[in-house]
Amino acid sequence: MTDVFNRVDISDWLERIPYASYLGISATLDHEQESLLFRLEPFDSNVGNILLPALHGGVVAAFMETAATLDLLRVAHVPTLPRIVDLSIDYLRTARTVPTFAQCDVLREGRRLANVRVSAWQDDSETPIATARLHFVLGKASSYNE
Amino acid sequence: MSRVFTPSSDDWLRAVRRMVMLVPHTRELGVEVVAAGPDGVRFRLPWRTDLLGDSTRGLVHGGALTMLLDTVCGAAVLPALPSPEVCPTLDLRVDHYRPALEGQAIIAEARAVSVSASVVFTEGLVWQTRSQPVARGIANFVRLGMRNTPPGFAEALFASDDVEEGGHD
Repeated sequence: MTDVFNRVDISDWLERIPYASYLGISATLDHEQESLLFRLEPFDSNVGNILLPALHGGVVAAFMETAATLDLLRVAHVPTLPRIVDLSIDYLRTARTVPTFAQCDVLREGRRLANVRVSAWQDDSETPIATARLHFVLGKASSYNE
Repeated sequence: MSRVFTPSSDDWLRAVRRMVMLVPHTRELGVEVVAAGPDGVRFRLPWRTDLLGDSTRGLVHGGALTMLLDTVCGAAVLPALPSPEVCPTLDLRVDHYRPALEGQAIIAEARAVSVSASVVFTEGLVWQTRSQPVARGIANFVRLGMRNTPPGFAEALFASDDVEEGGHD
């Protein structure tokens, strides 16, 4: 059940991720869907193009990687933060300077590796601004000695 | 359009520094442009604790490296074009060979591999110790063309520094 991973747990993990705080990333538990909804604040320091203006594409990628990491913690119940192996991101639309949201699907959770798909949007979840897929190494106590 | 202007390495260094200073995120993080030209671009990101992705283990956030690769690859696009165009990122792939560690500056280098009529293909590398690459990036950028590039884009990029002085806050 998802009550194991409550709001307190999420903020505990976020505290260990300074770059996520710097970008203004937060997470809330969507009780209806039993999934995490992630949010990126449109801070001035997150802007990449002042003319449009638009958020920095790299900031959007970092937001999506953070979302995938935390979503994996919720699903996998590992004792340490999963470590990223690779990321592939497609930029579909300009990320305007408004709040950005993300939701993840853990497509596979193996013994050592996991695959996560992330979608990010602004006004409408059906109109994503970016999609990404990522692989992580899971820090499972049983198979990971470091 | 027929103006013949071949920027020197100093011109490119100044132009890419200006570009980085105009991007709020990289300006705030203090990204330094070490080299820039048609052969490639090199950035240096000085260490700061905001870059951490795992403070328990002292590891840099993978997303900070992705951000740096996106920026450095984007900067490598400009000197590869016949004349500067606005080129947003189409897609980006990053392979993390090993974690970047706290307390050390991060170096990122990129070059344009190929330029087609609609896309610029780039690749980049991140390291802290030269012999131990941390991450590789492959980024493709869309050429919006001269029609969608603001008039005076190249002139603003290569303007001499004193013209810009009044614009700083």
